[in-house]
Amino acid sequence: MLRKISCDVLPIFMLVAAIVLGTAPPARAADTADPKAAFTAFRAYFTSRFPKVALDDFVNGPYSMDEGLRKQWKEIEEFPPYEFAVDKGKEMFAKPFANGRTYADCFPEKGISIRQNYPYFDTKSGQVITLELALNQCRQANGEKPLDETKDDMAALTAYMAFTSRGKRFDIKIPDDPRALAAWRKGEEYFYTRRGQLNFSCASCHVQSAGQHIRTEVLAPALGIMAAMPIYRSEWSGMGTTSRRFTTCNAQVRAVPLHPQDELYRDVEYFLTYMGNGLPVSGPGARP
Amino acid sequence: MTSVPVFLCLTIVVATTAVSAAPLSGEQLAFDRGKGNCLTCHDIKGGDSPGNVGPPLAGMKARFPNRADLVAIVADETKRNPQTVMPPFRRNLILTEEEINAIVDFLYTQ
Amino acid sequence: MRLPVGLMSMLGAAALAFAAVAAPADDFKAAYAKAEAASKEAAALKTQWTTTVATLKAAKKAADAGKLDDAIALAKKAEALAQASTAQAREQESAWKDGVIR
Repeated sequence: MLRKISCDVLPIFMLVAAIVLGTAPPARAADTADPKAAFTAFRAYFTSRFPKVALDDFVNGPYSMDEGLRKQWKEIEEFPPYEFAVDKGKEMFAKPFANGRTYADCFPEKGISIRQNYPYFDTKSGQVITLELALNQCRQANGEKPLDETKDDMAALTAYMAFTSRGKRFDIKIPDDPRALAAWRKGEEYFYTRRGQLNFSCASCHVQSAGQHIRTEVLAPALGIMAAMPIYRSEWSGMGTTSRRFTTCNAQVRAVPLHPQDELYRDVEYFLTYMGNGLPVSGPGARP
Repeated sequence: MTSVPVFLCLTIVVATTAVSAAPLSGEQLAFDRGKGNCLTCHDIKGGDSPGNVGPPLAGMKARFPNRADLVAIVADETKRNPQTVMPPFRRNLILTEEEINAIVDFLYTQ
Repeated sequence: MRLPVGLMSMLGAAALAFAAVAAPADDFKAAYAKAEAASKEAAALKTQWTTTVATLKAAKKAADAGKLDDAIALAKKAEALAQASTAQAREQESAWKDGVIR
């Protein structure tokens, strides 16, 4: 069709087309995943919406959003409620299994200061490996029973491992493998999909309503939201991992929770942690 | 068996088979976490620790002179704003039609 | 053997009464089966609602307690909830993209 339009009409045609396209409804996000572009847009959204928050401070969730809460938090951090978990985790980490091997044998760098590399996409098994999944795989490979991935002993182990990584910057990679891209994409889809009878997506609270409060709780921004895991939550009177947070969140919006290490949960953890790349490990954390 | 104990038995049976107790008022429905739970996101006079995700609910008569508009928002705000975070109370069967109307009646007193 | 008319009418009435009692039980079974099927579909999509599961349980409990009218109403509500959750999942298959930060 363009060939039939003479040269002097073409610029006008292009101008009209541009105007028409400009006023058309916004195109939906491309069907091909582009994590790098998404990362840039995600970060820009939060930094421009919250210009007074230092980039690194986003990892402090609600405390980066609310001055009053921040003061309370600073006081709590003088006697951190997760301290007992770190101590317990350190002990557990050092104690050999019945077969004489230890957790250190399962992990790179003997498992010290590696939290910032999790979760990762394992090209061998073709799936996302979270720290909790890796720890249970280690246990099972050494004849031990797996731990409940949501709290208690598991949260103590990951609290210790996070503590050894404090300040290290998240560096989640997406290997050049279509399965890895698909996992990131499934995570993105999960994050933005409305679910539960109450019809909320993760984004409903942690993007659209970030910084606002529901009753007394201040909603954390999604940027860096994985950085403080695992957390001691006053509401739980105990520690909880990412899995604990995902399952309770699902239940709160009246969606039936999935298995704590369901593929979808691991994918959304992969997506969210990648989107927080460059931010520092702040775990283990304390939350209201 | 005399008639009095039988009568008592029947009233007890009736009470326990009743699907719900006395119906909640519009205000109770609005504040109840298991029902409208409006305070989670909206400041409403008389409510404790309201959230601020949505606008405060005050001056409703002036803001919504047409009752159908307010009912529509409570029933399914996604029709008007697809990106809203307000739950679709009718579409997702969170509230019955009576409950929606009772809440709207209450909102008009604000 | 010809039964006395009185006895026959009594038996007839009893049969009718029995039929009237049996029908709600069958109605419940049918309603519950439909609700359960809808609920399983939602569960397979990993998008089931907690309220669906709870309502289905309540329907069973009411039926076990002999409250068939309540049980049928609850089973129908559970089916409606399950269908609503599946409708949400289907719509969200494409609608999720509209909320993505760009």
